Amino acid sequence: MFKVAVTLVVSAGLAVCCAMMAVLIALVASSPTKGWSGRSLSLLDPTYASKYIPIIASVSEHQPPTWPSYFMDINVLAFLVPAGIIACFSPLSDASSFVVLYIVTSVYFSGVMVRLMLVLAPAACILSGIALSQAFDVLARSIKFQLPGFPTNSEVDAGDSNPITVEAKNNAPKTDKTGEPSKDRPSRKNKKKGKEQAERPSVKGKPEKKRLLVLPMGASILALLLLVLLSAFYVVHSVWAAAEAYSAPSIVLTSYSHDGLHVFDDFREAYAWLSHNTDVDHKVASWWDYGYQTTAMANRTVIVDNNTWNNTHIATVGTAMSSPEKAAWEIFNSLDVKYVLVVFGGLVGYPSDDINKFLWMVRIGGGVFPHIKEPDYLRDGQYRIDSEATPTMLNCLMYKLSYYRFVETGGKGFDRVRQTEIGKKYFKLTHFEEVSIHNSPLDGSDIQAETSKKQDSGKVEEIKIKI
Amino acid sequence: METEMGFSRFALFLFTIALLSSPVLSDLVLSKVDRRIYLTSQIVRYTATLRVENEGSELVSEVLLAFPELQAKNLAYLTVSVNEGKGKQKVSTDDLPIEVVSPKNMPPAVSFYSVTLPKGLAPGDSLTLDVMAVFTHALQPFPEKITQADIQLVVFQDSAYYLSPYAVKVQSLSVKLPEARIESYTKLENTKVHGSEIKYGPHEDLPAFSYSPIGIHFESNQPFSNAQEVEREIEISHWGNVQITEHYKLIHGGAQSKGEFSRLDFQARPNVRGASAIRYLVATLPPRAHSVYYRDEIGNISTSHLWSDSKKTELLIEPRYPMFGGWRTAFTIGYGLPLQDFLFQSEGKRFLNITLSSPMVELVIDKLIVKVVLPEGSKDISVSTPFPVKQWQETKISHLDIDGRPVVVLEKTNVVPEHNKYFQVYYKFNKLSMLREPLMLISGFFFLFVACIVYTRADISISKSSASYLAKQQWEEVQAAIQQVESIINRCLATHDKLEASLRDLSRTGDVQACKAARKTADGLLKDLSKELKPLLAFLQSSPSASQILPKVEDLVAKEKELQERVMTKHSTVVDAYERKSAGKDIENRVALQQQKITALKQEVDDLMEYIDEI
Repeated sequence: MFKVAVTLVVSAGLAVCCAMMAVLIALVASSPTKGWSGRSLSLLDPTYASKYIPIIASVSEHQPPTWPSYFMDINVLAFLVPAGIIACFSPLSDASSFVVLYIVTSVYFSGVMVRLMLVLAPAACILSGIALSQAFDVLARSIKFQLPGFPTNSEVDAGDSNPITVEAKNNAPKTDKTGEPSKDRPSRKNKKKGKEQAERPSVKGKPEKKRLLVLPMGASILALLLLVLLSAFYVVHSVWAAAEAYSAPSIVLTSYSHDGLHVFDDFREAYAWLSHNTDVDHKVASWWDYGYQTTAMANRTVIVDNNTWNNTHIATVGTAMSSPEKAAWEIFNSLDVKYVLVVFGGLVGYPSDDINKFLWMVRIGGGVFPHIKEPDYLRDGQYRIDSEATPTMLNCLMYKLSYYRFVETGGKGFDRVRQTEIGKKYFKLTHFEEVSIHNSPLDGSDIQAETSKKQDSGKVEEIKIKI
Repeated sequence: METEMGFSRFALFLFTIALLSSPVLSDLVLSKVDRRIYLTSQIVRYTATLRVENEGSELVSEVLLAFPELQAKNLAYLTVSVNEGKGKQKVSTDDLPIEVVSPKNMPPAVSFYSVTLPKGLAPGDSLTLDVMAVFTHALQPFPEKITQADIQLVVFQDSAYYLSPYAVKVQSLSVKLPEARIESYTKLENTKVHGSEIKYGPHEDLPAFSYSPIGIHFESNQPFSNAQEVEREIEISHWGNVQITEHYKLIHGGAQSKGEFSRLDFQARPNVRGASAIRYLVATLPPRAHSVYYRDEIGNISTSHLWSDSKKTELLIEPRYPMFGGWRTAFTIGYGLPLQDFLFQSEGKRFLNITLSSPMVELVIDKLIVKVVLPEGSKDISVSTPFPVKQWQETKISHLDIDGRPVVVLEKTNVVPEHNKYFQVYYKFNKLSMLREPLMLISGFFFLFVACIVYTRADISISKSSASYLAKQQWEEVQAAIQQVESIINRCLATHDKLEASLRDLSRTGDVQACKAARKTADGLLKDLSKELKPLLAFLQSSPSASQILPKVEDLVAKEKELQERVMTKHSTVVDAYERKSAGKDIENRVALQQQKITALKQEVDDLMEYIDEI
């Protein structure tokens, strides 16, 4: 009776579990990406995001890293890691094979996305540690062997300090293992023992190999010093990288010139202006990169921000930026936008401005609104803003807002980021008005951003933030 | 401009009707009035020298000053003093008391201020009064909206004749303008222009309440920096610091900006494109100001400069963006001052003597709130200000406060730089109260640690007879016993080491006797130790909770005993061999086997000790 009951319960439980699993599998299978998010899928297939979800590919953190970025981030570890992998194979244990698998997968993931360099970092640290420790081990042992007062015969254990052995060394070489060092007090015992156990098999098993590993005295001392020096320089590099690449705020830019440090605080200048001099209810449209900053620092409602879940909204703004002025005005009017913020760095050579991000506006916009076609903006497969640029490009809102009155700044209209003269120099804004340009008081070494404002009369004003 | 003038004419019409019906107030006569109006900045400063004569037959102790209501509402500051000197050697005495009065039978739209003379003016006597008045918001921008490229034009209105309830015999007016450019001005007879100065008069023998409106339309590119609200917090710390924090809400009060603002144009030609913009503000801080900061809600503002010398500290701050007409911004500056420069003692009371208003140069403040935060425990607070202000008290709770710090709040509207005078806050404060907060912290930590000590030491179990409690107690005893066993074993091991050391000495010195003596002492010591071990082992055997660990302990003791014997044998073998002068090699061969066993035993003892440690 009891057995029947047990069977019943077990089979019922199994049935329920199976049913739930089936539902789960069906749910996963029914989603087009099999339950994987776009970011995860692009890890498995590095080309996935650029083919299907341009918004993921547009984030610079999701780009594959360049070789210099590896060197910048992990520096000397890049050379120590292979040595560490070799060290893991002699001998190969469970732990060391895990470490090898860890480094291999993390190298792959970091190769797909720059931001996954974070995954690589701990693995690289572990393996470099192993490599360094092995190197120190070999070098220190070589020195120890050749110190005066130690048995010249390499077969005798180096740690020998037994009085009888010392006394006996003049007579004949010993072959047994009396050379076991006398025990220390229990407090130091654990550490010591681990080392001994590691050493013992090598001493016992292959004395020949040991003899091979002994390097000349001078060379080992030099190598030891060089390794210490290398590690010390690595600390210096790490502190510098942590300060420059990971701690520097991208909102306040600095530059060093012959007369000292210059601070470019133009982003905050523009945000402060929006915060104090526009109506609280006015909405600001900008590319989504500036969304959270505008919300927090300018205290204004934005159309799109750094939350990229809603692709359609971002595509709408991208479409407006890539449309001619009138169409763009209609889009912004329907979104109740009063100001458009544009960042332009062509005056001073600030490369992460909106013109350089423009290809993503076109791609993301075109992904949702098919009337935006990327080939319309391309000449020979490239985005160009010089005289070779396509008419669509020269008439789109982004071009117009960025280069409005640009020619008045230096005569020729030379863009220092694109290293070229702009295609269309003299034009008027019909639906937008410039509200303000903010830029640092430095001739030719500042960045530009712009904001635009729309008036009730059907005109939109533009704020340019020149940095 | 047409409308402006039209308005002025209309006002004149009203005034004439009003003034014709008014009575002559008293027997005073102003024999000479010299007025000068300075329009060089956004703040209108006005000085008048009045020669007052008593032509009546009674002692007069009050003189009335009259201002049209339009001006009176902008009047920020008014002082009157008696000028006792002659000619240019002016000796001004203290300011005379002034109060607002509204006498009967006076024309409407005129405000009166009554000045009380220090001593009455006898019939036939005369004296000279110096009147100084400061007006804010008296310059109206016209046109009201300008673009970035336009210059700022403003209109000033006043009367060509001195408005007074007394007849005036001789009077003149001169108006000083900032630049030579004058758009237009009202021309009367006797009007002259000298460069940037316009002179009206002299006019003679005018009756009381004569009024002749004039308007001057001129260029003024002075920045109209206007703080709508300034909140100034002065916090006194008796540890040696006066911390001042000032929050500003700033607006450019000049002509509104219209159209677009181009930073590029502004930078290329700042004097043409944006001449009236507020580019910077200068604050004159007291000497020895330190820890100066300038920030707003989104962080530090990097555009500021600080100079300091022994007399003053000068802070130049630029807003985040140049401010055009109607633009606003908000920021905070703060600095610390040494306490001994501002806090003094008199008659058992302490008093703070510090300036009331903002240190900004040429700033008009619509509403100034000064908060003086006194240290916790201050009593008998009183305030003395050079002019009347609204005041009340609050409390501020800060870190480690129990009942809050008393805060004296002063509020004043329409503040100009002339108001930046010293004021005093008197209070009583016991220096011992300073120690309150540190002592609180110290005692807090002290009691925390005491509580920790009590918690770990005290036996706080509820039931003293429960099985688990007893088991726990027994286990603790067992642990103590095991620890003792371990320490004894360690001492044994140390003795073994000593024996080994004596062997080493032997091989070096060959002193057999010393070595034997060492063995003897070691032997005695080891025996003592084994005696000590016995009761402990007996206790462990009797204790039920030690049953788990007992075999290991016994094992340990047994192994140690064996080790002892081996070491002893080895020792005696080596010593014997030495006595028989055996070769080193022979000795070694003889003890080799023992040595191996000793090492193995030592290893076992170590392992066992470790195992017991882990339990």
